[in-house]
Amino acid sequence: MRIPKFEYFCPSSIEEGCSLLYKHQTEAKILAGGTDLFVKMKKKEILPKVIISLKGIQKLDRIEWDDRLGLRIGPLVTHEALVNHPIVREKFDFLSEACFKIGTRQVRNMGTLVGNLCNASPSSDASAPLLVLEANLKLVHLYGERVVSLEEFFIGPFQTILDPQEILIEIQIPKPARYTAGSYQYLHKASSVGETLVGAAVLLTMDQKDSSCQEVRIGLSSAAPTPIRAMAAERRLKGKRMDGKIVREVAQVASDEIQPRSRPWYRREMTKVLVERAILQAMEKIR
Amino acid sequence: MKKQLIMLRVNGESCELAVEPQRTLLEVLREDLGLTGAKEACGTGECGACTVLIDGKPILSCLTLAIEAQGKEITTIEGLAKAGELHPLQKAFIQYGAIQCGYCTSGMILNAKSILDENPTPSRDEILKGLEGNLCRCTGYNKILEAVMAASIGKD
Repeated sequence: MRIPKFEYFCPSSIEEGCSLLYKHQTEAKILAGGTDLFVKMKKKEILPKVIISLKGIQKLDRIEWDDRLGLRIGPLVTHEALVNHPIVREKFDFLSEACFKIGTRQVRNMGTLVGNLCNASPSSDASAPLLVLEANLKLVHLYGERVVSLEEFFIGPFQTILDPQEILIEIQIPKPARYTAGSYQYLHKASSVGETLVGAAVLLTMDQKDSSCQEVRIGLSSAAPTPIRAMAAERRLKGKRMDGKIVREVAQVASDEIQPRSRPWYRREMTKVLVERAILQAMEKIR
Repeated sequence: MKKQLIMLRVNGESCELAVEPQRTLLEVLREDLGLTGAKEACGTGECGACTVLIDGKPILSCLTLAIEAQGKEITTIEGLAKAGELHPLQKAFIQYGAIQCGYCTSGMILNAKSILDENPTPSRDEILKGLEGNLCRCTGYNKILEAVMAASIGKD
């Protein structure tokens, strides 16, 4: 299988990249890792006339941690880099685990987290942890920039709010509160690439003395047309004293609020199991 | 589209080539440089037959543009034997019968090399997880696993 022909640009600055994208708009595609883009082009699902590679802009390969601002991830950062990064492993262990789940060793060495978000697959693994971490995305274009939440970024299966002249330049993850822990639990198909059947991420803040839930966020992949937050389940748990009974109840609420595109019975059952496991694991980590 | 002049460093040797931007590293290795060890099977990044190492890391050459492999150290299966002496992994694959049709072998060995370079004594599970992106349709995976484990113990 060959990649159809295109004109190739490798800008050396973000400004130059934006200017090229502004000029070519819908005829152009941005290249980071290429693991989704080139597959789609080989299958002739998309046929961009122009490819704008970000690889010439070295500062986009950065993972930065700031005690006040939190974590920032550039569009050339691969899944493998996030798996191995000491701060990501320490402070965002479940994001690192979700990145380890993605693809294969080779795909993780090539594919980028930002590219994965732009592809907007409903089963995107890292999306569930990023949703509960309330990640924001910085989008730039020739004449300015905007910051949107990940939740508003996804609008449908493989669809985002990204305009044709915009580049997703940074993922911003706020610093988690104290007594907070996360967990990512998943099940995947038995195929070569092991696409996720259901992925459940939980970020929990719990009072260590009376085990009450101060804050909880639940994110689900492969459970709806886009990765989603299980808001009703979150509301059910917030403020409650955490025990096995309430956790099972909350998992049931999450299971009821998903909108699977296929295999609804199985996905609901598994959502219940995985949300419960994720909450219990987060509790365990805080204790 | 216009050809671009690029410089690739493959198995320690530099070569200058004129390539069109859409050509993959796999195509250029096989068709322009005659290095047919890396194979095309699925063409979409699922099977690992096209695996080569870039700066020591396994990547899919069927989804990598040749022009973007410039300035990096590319290692193919042809570059593993040193002075006529096979790499310990190559020897182990032969010794343990971990090859049948051979189509997956070069990718399998290169990925295994990167696993052992990162961690010379991986567990069985770590090898399995590491090789999950390399599919074999002949021998099953036991002999491959045994070969990698043998090479990991006797690694020089």
